[in-house]
Amino acid sequence: MEKDYTIIGGCGRLGSSIASKLSEANKDVMIIDHDKSSFRKLPMSFGGLTMIASISDLDRLKNAQINKASVFIAVTNDDNANICAAQIAKKLFHVEKVIARIYDEDKIPLLTKMNIEAICPTRLSVDQVYDYMEAGGKHDGK
Amino acid sequence: MMVSKKKKILLVGSFSEVRSLANSLISKNFKVTIINNNYEECEKLAENDKLTVIYGDGSKKFVLDDADAASCHIAIALTKSDEANLIICEMCKDFFHVQKCVSMLNDPMKTEFFYQMGIDRVVCALNMITNIMEENALMDEMMKMVPLDKGKLHIVETTILHNSAMIGKKLWELNLPKEIIIGCIVRDDKSLIPRGDTSVKEGDTLLMITSDIDELSEMKELTIN
Repeated sequence: MEKDYTIIGGCGRLGSSIASKLSEANKDVMIIDHDKSSFRKLPMSFGGLTMIASISDLDRLKNAQINKASVFIAVTNDDNANICAAQIAKKLFHVEKVIARIYDEDKIPLLTKMNIEAICPTRLSVDQVYDYMEAGGKHDGK
Repeated sequence: MMVSKKKKILLVGSFSEVRSLANSLISKNFKVTIINNNYEECEKLAENDKLTVIYGDGSKKFVLDDADAASCHIAIALTKSDEANLIICEMCKDFFHVQKCVSMLNDPMKTEFFYQMGIDRVVCALNMITNIMEENALMDEMMKMVPLDKGKLHIVETTILHNSAMIGKKLWELNLPKEIIIGCIVRDDKSLIPRGDTSVKEGDTLLMITSDIDELSEMKELTIN
């Protein structure tokens, strides 16, 4: 386990996509989910590790060598679980980059106060829609 | 007590957990608000007209707002989810400046973490039960123990039997380990605060406070032999 070791909590659509992308880029990645069947979303080519556990289980996180991780990403579909796990990663294991996905905008301050990056799909969509409308309904492409 | 001066307590949790606590708090003259996320349970709870019941997810800011969390002195989170309890307490602290937040916790491993996140009191039911079980299994039946401060401190109750080596001795003669203090002696249904020259009688119940549970075995020998 060298520098770039990423732990992803939650193997949903987002978690599995990030995991396979990192694995394709030859990064060390561990993905955690409490439901074994959710790992089916990972591609056959996935070269990382999987672990069946609750993402805020301290023992299992230690087993996953979270203290050696440079990035922790909490992306289950439960806001509270994501916040809790992200705070654990930051506070107890001092992971450098911690990212959490939360749907409820009101809870963002709970993350930002601890230097955790909050990804809020609602807010992103709103911005995107707004930008699109501002652009006069035309998609300018890239 | 004036109505306006009643202390307000906010409870978040499901019916069974919340009801008995709410009743006990009302009888102690607190003003209780409950947040519960099951409509039928809310209806049942609302039958008690002394309770304010809010239907909703207590880990949402607007629900806490509806419950007027900012006016509460104490918030207690007892949902079944540890994560939700943590978030409820954090929001009560950060957004509503509730003085004291108490959280129930299922996973004993997280106790320290919850305290680090600024929760004032963490109640881990499993921890308490395991402590009590352990003590009951290891100690003599005549000793009762109450663990305090996350199990670092214990109050121990023991009765002096007729064959105890302590009978007739003054406390200063006992050479108690310094980790043990005899805080109270219950004699003939009266409690007395002991001093060095108080002597122990048969049938006394001693209430001891100790910071080191291992010292108790020594104490045990004294009371029995």
